[in-house]
Amino acid sequence: MRVSFRLNGSWVSVDVEPGEILLDTLRLRLGIRSVKRGCERGECGVCTVLLNGEPVVSCLLLTAQVDSMEVTTVEGLGSDPLFKDLAEEFARRFSIQCGYCTPAILLTTYAYIRKVYEGKRKASVEEIVKAIEGNLCRCGTYPRVVRAVVNTLSRLTTAP
Amino acid sequence: MSEDPRTIIQRWLSAEGYIVVGRSVERADSLDKALGLAKFVEDFFEEGYLLARVAISRVPHARILNIDTEPALRIPGILKVLTYLDVPGENQVGYAIPDQPLLAEGKVRYFGEPLAIVVGRDPDALARAVEEVRPRYEPLPALLDPLEAMERTDVLVHEEFGSNVAFRTRVRKGNVEEGFSKADVVVENTYRTHHQEHLYLEPEAALAIPDLENRVTVLATIQYPHLGQKIIAKVLGLPAGMVKVVAPYIGGGFGGKDDEGPLVAARAALAAYHLRRPVLLFYTREDSIQIHPKREATVIRYKSGATRDGKLMAIDVTIIHDTGAYANRGPFILWRATMHASGPYVVPHAKIDGYCVYTNKVPQGSFRGFGNPSIQFAAEAQMDLLAEELGMDPVEFRLLNMLRPGSTTLTDQVLTSSVGVHEALRKLADYSGWWVKRRQYRVERTGRFRRGIGVAVAWHGNSTSRAVPDWSNAYMQVARDGSVVVYTGIVEMGQGSPSSSHRQIVAEVLGCPLEKVKIVFGTTEAPDAGATHASRGTSVGAIGILVAAGRIRSRLESFLSEYFNVPLEGIQIRDGKVYVRGEPKMSWEELVTLAYSRGVDLSSTGYFFLPKGTFQEDIGRGFAYPAYSFIAVVTEVEVDTYTGRVRVLRVYPALAAGRIINPEAVKTQIEGAVIQGLGYTLMERLIFDHNGRIVNDNLTDYVIPTSLDVPEIEETIFVEDLWEYGPLGAKGVGEMALIPMPASIANAVSHAIGIRVTELPLTPEKVYSLVKHLER
Repeated sequence: MRVSFRLNGSWVSVDVEPGEILLDTLRLRLGIRSVKRGCERGECGVCTVLLNGEPVVSCLLLTAQVDSMEVTTVEGLGSDPLFKDLAEEFARRFSIQCGYCTPAILLTTYAYIRKVYEGKRKASVEEIVKAIEGNLCRCGTYPRVVRAVVNTLSRLTTAP
Repeated sequence: MSEDPRTIIQRWLSAEGYIVVGRSVERADSLDKALGLAKFVEDFFEEGYLLARVAISRVPHARILNIDTEPALRIPGILKVLTYLDVPGENQVGYAIPDQPLLAEGKVRYFGEPLAIVVGRDPDALARAVEEVRPRYEPLPALLDPLEAMERTDVLVHEEFGSNVAFRTRVRKGNVEEGFSKADVVVENTYRTHHQEHLYLEPEAALAIPDLENRVTVLATIQYPHLGQKIIAKVLGLPAGMVKVVAPYIGGGFGGKDDEGPLVAARAALAAYHLRRPVLLFYTREDSIQIHPKREATVIRYKSGATRDGKLMAIDVTIIHDTGAYANRGPFILWRATMHASGPYVVPHAKIDGYCVYTNKVPQGSFRGFGNPSIQFAAEAQMDLLAEELGMDPVEFRLLNMLRPGSTTLTDQVLTSSVGVHEALRKLADYSGWWVKRRQYRVERTGRFRRGIGVAVAWHGNSTSRAVPDWSNAYMQVARDGSVVVYTGIVEMGQGSPSSSHRQIVAEVLGCPLEKVKIVFGTTEAPDAGATHASRGTSVGAIGILVAAGRIRSRLESFLSEYFNVPLEGIQIRDGKVYVRGEPKMSWEELVTLAYSRGVDLSSTGYFFLPKGTFQEDIGRGFAYPAYSFIAVVTEVEVDTYTGRVRVLRVYPALAAGRIINPEAVKTQIEGAVIQGLGYTLMERLIFDHNGRIVNDNLTDYVIPTSLDVPEIEETIFVEDLWEYGPLGAKGVGEMALIPMPASIANAVSHAIGIRVTELPLTPEKVYSLVKHLER
C-alpha cells in the first residue's frame, strides 16, 4: 500500500506492507539511520521519532498510521538552532557515550524543551528526569543528559 | 634519538607538565553521534543485501539425531539454512577450552544454543523460518544447579571430560589452620550472586561482504577484531589474511560483545561464504538475551579471621561459578575472582579453591568486572563483619590491612609502586562525611525509613593475567598536510578511548594541534593491540600509540637539532609550534612539509611487549597482573521497612587509576558503572525455568535502571598513583566503579537494617523478608 507523509520537511510517498512498522520503513526504505532498532516492542526507546512534534516509538507504529502526518528525526534537525544548541551541549557535558540511544534521547529532550519554552512554563529537574524515563541508556548517561537539558533551557530563557 | 619503547614511556611518564593531557577535552565522536552520522553495524545495510538469523535450541540438553531444514526452506523468501554440516573449516570456537561449536553438533547443551543459520530476504520470513528449523532429539536430563552438577557423574554436560567441573583454581599461602588459630575473631558465611544481562541497547549483528578486496570483510559488534579474524579464518578454513574484520561504532559492549562478537561475525561470514552475497546477520532482543553469555552466577563460602588489634590473619574461600553449557571465558573469570579473593588487603594465610562448573544453562561470560564484583561482594561483607566483631570502624579496619607500596598481595606479588588505595579511602571517608554519618544512622535506626551508609573497596588487575603474553601496538602516519592518522585495533563502544585519551596522548607527544589527530579504530588493518576489555583500552591500548608518537617526535627533534644546529635540549615542539631556544620558528604544518622534503620518516609502529613474571598454578602464587587499579565507594541508602524497597541516595567514589588523561571522560565511566552496578545489585536478575530457559528475555520483565533510578553521584576523588609502563602513567578505569557497587550497597543496607545481607539482588521481596520481623 502507498503511504505519504512529511519526513524531515519533505513529502515522501512509499509502498509498504500493510503490517509494516515505521521503524522498518524509515531504516530499510528511506535510508534513515539515526532511528535505531533495540527491542521492537516499545520498551527501550532507541527508535523514537517525533510524530507531529511529539516523541513516539516507531516500532509500535504501523507506517500506514502516519499517512499525511509529519515525522521528524535528527537528520531533519541539523539546521534547527535549538537542536544544534542542545546537541552541542550534550557534547560539552559528555552526555554521550556509545551513542546508540543518543538521537532518540535528543529528540525526546528537544520536544520537551520546546514544550516548556513555548508554554512559558518553568521546568524542574524532576520533570526532566520523568521526561526521559522512556529512553533507556545502558551506558548510564542520564545525569549528564539532565544537566545538558537544564543548561540549554537556562540559556534559552535568559537569552535576549 | 630514541626508538626504544621503554625510554619513550619513561620520558613521557616523567615530563614536567602537560598541555592536553589532564584536560577534559571534548570527545571527537560526540557530534557525529548526536546528529546520527555515526554508523553502527546495521547502518551499513544496503538494499539487495541478504538477512540472516539464528535458529536456537528450545531444549536444555539433548542428543541431536538430525536437523530437518526442509520446512524452513519451504517458506517463500528463505534461501538457505546452514547447520554444522555446512562449516567448511573447524566447528570449534571455545576460548578457554575447546568445548564449543559455532553451530550445535552432536548435542545441544542449553536452551538458546545456536543450531542453524537461516538466510533470506525479509525479516518476517526469517522470523517464521527460525521456528521451522526442526531438530529431532533424544532428550537428556538437564543439570541446572551447579552444586548438584559438581556432584554428579551420571549426567555430564560434556561426556568427554568425565566431570562437570570444567576448571579449578587454587591458592595456598602460609598455613590457614595456623592463621585461624592466631585469630581472635572468625566469621563465616555463604554468599550468592546471580546472572546479569548486559542489555547493551544495540543487539548483536554482523555484516559479511564476500569478495571485497578479494577476501571476506566482516563488520561486527565485536570488542576484538583480530580475534574475530582468527575465529572466522578457522571456521571457514582460510588463512587469517583472507579475512578483514572491522568494528564500527558499537552500541555498548560491557564484555558481552567480547564473547559473542567473534561468534556473530563467524556466523555471518559463514552465510556470506555460502551465498556469495553480502549478508547481515542480526539478533533480536530475545535472541540476544537467550544466546549470549552472562555475568557469572556464584556461590561463595568465605571464612576469615583477624586478631584483636585488627590484623587480618587468614581467609579460607570456596568459589563456585555456574559456567553454563560451555566454558567460554569462565576459566579466566574464575581465575580473576580467585586471585582477587582477599580484596586489596594484606593477608598472611590463605586457602582458596575455585570451581567452574558446567550446567545446562546459558554460558557464563565477560561482563564489566569479570568475576570481581561477586567476590568483592563477599570479601567486603566479611571485612564489615570482622570490624563489627572487633568493635572497630569498618574504614579504620580496612585501612589497617590495606595494600600499600611495598606490600605483598594475596598471590605473593610485591607491589613496589602505584598503590594509591590507602590515600583514596582516607580521603573518601572524610569527603563523604563517613565518620559522622556512620554513627548517626545507627542511632537513628527506628521507624519506617532507615538510613544506612556502607563502604567497599576493590582492586582490579589491569589487562590479561599471569604470563599470558600481552602487548600493545599501533601504526601512525603523519600526512603531508600535517594531519596525523593512527590505526588501532582498540574499538569504540562508548568508553571513548579512541575519541578522547588516544587523541590527547598523540597531540601531547607529537606536539601537534589536537584537531589534526584522527584515530582509525577497531580494524584488523591496524596492528593487533589486543582486545578492548579488562580496562585496557587506554591503559594498555594507548602504550603502542604513545611509543609510535614518541618515535616520530624524536626523529623530528633530531632533525630539527641538526637543521638549526642546536643541541636537542634547545628544541621544543608544543601545541602546533616549533621553538628553538625558546624562539617560535615554524608551525607544525611547516615542520611536516620540511621533514618530508628532507627525508624524515614520519610513519611508525609502536610495539611494546609487557614485562611479566611467572606464576605457579598449583599454589596460586606469583605474578598475577602487570598493574592494579583501585577504587573505594561510599554509598548511602534508605530502606523502606514496610515494602523492602531500597533507595540509593548518594554515591561517593574515589579512584586510584594512575594518570587521569581526561577527567570528565573518566567520570562518565564511573557514573555509568555505578548505575549499571546499582541495577545489578537491586533490580536485575535473569530467571530460568525448569528447562533452563530464560523467562524474562525482554525489557518488560528484565528491568534495568532508568533515569528515575539514578542516585546522586558525587564528584570522584582521583589519586594519581602512576604506573611505570602505563601511557603517561595511566591505569584502567572502565570496569572499576562497578566492582565495589554490590558490596557498597549491601554494606549500607546491612547498616540500615542491622541485619547482614548475603545474597543478591536486593529486591524488595528479599529485603522485606529480612525486615518484616523488625519492630517499626
